[in-house]
Amino acid sequence: MNAIIALSLLGIFTLFTGIFNWRKAMLPIVVIGLAGVFVLNGMDYFTTPSWYADYTHMVIFDRYAVVFSAALIMITAMLFFLCKQYYQKEDNNISDIYGLILFTLVGGMLMASFSNFAMLFLGIEILSIPLYILAGTKRLEVTSNEASIKYFLMGSFSTGFLLFGMALVYGAAHTFTLDGIRQYTDAHAGDLPTIFVAGIMLMLVGMLFKVSGAPFHFWAPDVYSGAPTLITTFMATVVKTAAFAALYRLLFYTFGSAKPIWFDALWGVAALTMIIGNFSALYQHGVKRMLAYSSISNAGYLLIGVIAMNTHSANSIFYYTLVYSLASLVSFGVLMLVTQDNGGDDSYTAFKGLARNNPALAGLMTLAMLSLAGIPPLAGFFGKYYIFINAMENGYIYIVLIAVANSLVGIYYYFKVIVAMFAKDTAPTKIAVQPAYLFALVVAAALLFVLGIFPDWVSGLMN
Amino acid sequence: MYNISEVAFYGLSTLAIFSALMVVFSRNPVHSVLYLVVCFFAISGHFLLLNAQFLFVVNIIVYAGAIMVLFLFTIMMLNLNRESEPHKNIILKLAAVVSGCLLLLVLVAALKGAETTTAMPIDAIKDPNIGLVKNLGKELFTRFVLPFEISSILFIAAMVGTVMLGKKKLT
Repeated sequence: MNAIIALSLLGIFTLFTGIFNWRKAMLPIVVIGLAGVFVLNGMDYFTTPSWYADYTHMVIFDRYAVVFSAALIMITAMLFFLCKQYYQKEDNNISDIYGLILFTLVGGMLMASFSNFAMLFLGIEILSIPLYILAGTKRLEVTSNEASIKYFLMGSFSTGFLLFGMALVYGAAHTFTLDGIRQYTDAHAGDLPTIFVAGIMLMLVGMLFKVSGAPFHFWAPDVYSGAPTLITTFMATVVKTAAFAALYRLLFYTFGSAKPIWFDALWGVAALTMIIGNFSALYQHGVKRMLAYSSISNAGYLLIGVIAMNTHSANSIFYYTLVYSLASLVSFGVLMLVTQDNGGDDSYTAFKGLARNNPALAGLMTLAMLSLAGIPPLAGFFGKYYIFINAMENGYIYIVLIAVANSLVGIYYYFKVIVAMFAKDTAPTKIAVQPAYLFALVVAAALLFVLGIFPDWVSGLMN
Repeated sequence: MYNISEVAFYGLSTLAIFSALMVVFSRNPVHSVLYLVVCFFAISGHFLLLNAQFLFVVNIIVYAGAIMVLFLFTIMMLNLNRESEPHKNIILKLAAVVSGCLLLLVLVAALKGAETTTAMPIDAIKDPNIGLVKNLGKELFTRFVLPFEISSILFIAAMVGTVMLGKKKLT
């Protein structure tokens, strides 16, 4: 809770640095501030989370919330290292952009820690509204404007579903607190009224939109490829992690005993998300769009973790989102440099010959792609492994078979990037990289490697 | 026979549903907005029937008043008319109708069962003063103080964003 207050203040302070024009100090302030927030958040890990829960029943900083928040803060801090080079030409609005990113993070932390529907709704809105704006920060580009307005319209529409679902659930259970609704669900597990079931389904529609699950994924490719790449990275990492934290918290803590109701629907969504995401990614010509579809397919794998729902699920979902976020950070980071260097061209051909003149970047990209594809020594493999094993423990064989087949498809398009990078090409240029930028990418790639070798460092944090 | 509040309920409901349908069906966007205003008034009437006087007033002032006027301005500035309306293809229309009907089916089924549910008594009926400003304020500043304060982050983010997008490009 202290972390949320500190983070909000940090966001407001960042806006002030823009007013006073402390351009040089802005980035250090944000990064040091985020480190402080990380520590504050970590302190909640060791305390029992009773006080806030008793006081208002609004948020609860149990280990689940703390661990997810820590991941969100860490990834955001790494993103800020990329900001400086990406927004080199942007002078006027940079403090506003930083502030909005921090406010989005506040929303993400609320989504990991809510214990009341009011907080869930506020968290989702605080996460979404700055994002609608951030997606449109390249105001002179049509694609950015399109991404912004599309995301805004679709997002508002899905929020309508979420609210309607909450209203119906309230109509049945007469409470907004997760505890109260869980008691109601447990008490009436056999014969839940239809109004409650419809409420769960409508809420799921709203949540699945946020995680870009299959029938509700249509916004994702356009928004991801239209938005500025840095914001796309933010969406693929922090926003996705927060959305899954919220979805799992909602389903596990609240609707756990109503599992027969939503299980089949979510099973179908998971299968469809993987298949549509992977097979659409095959046909993309731009790497950015391919990564957008890859993000959809990864949401499918994560949904398997959600439907498995046993004692290890929270850990395996956390491990997967963390690893996926790190790999996305690296791949989008390299993509940003290559695209900028090629005058906005993000096709596979732009990557040709990268290994020759920029071996460091090519190496980082290769690591990220191998991790996303799930090649054994890297963390991406263990992410998938935990999720699949988890589902197998519950006996969900078919969905795991679909997932394994889909990961094989995934290897093809991830390797297409690697092949392009190591192909011979005539005269690609050397790309200038700022040390901070390279530092963030190297740290993320190193974590991918280290977490692959010692997965139990983070996979048991919630026990 | 029916008492006065039941008559009011059915009257307001009919009005709300009729005007909501007219929002969708009327060709002229300005008419749509005006029907939406009527719809909001009808819903505000429902708030009054539920003893929520404060919500009644706020709903009229904020939604029917301020937001709808903004809508009207926006529509007039965009200058929408029948000619500029894009034509959707028939498959898209069909898909929209099918999914809309499915949603209606689910919701009707859900609300049909609502009466026979194992519902607990609703607190609002028990306490007739629940909708007064005083009680609402008490709730807002005790139990819901955290959401109340946190929503300021939402508003500052929205304001910063509006200023940022609306600012003139200096370079």
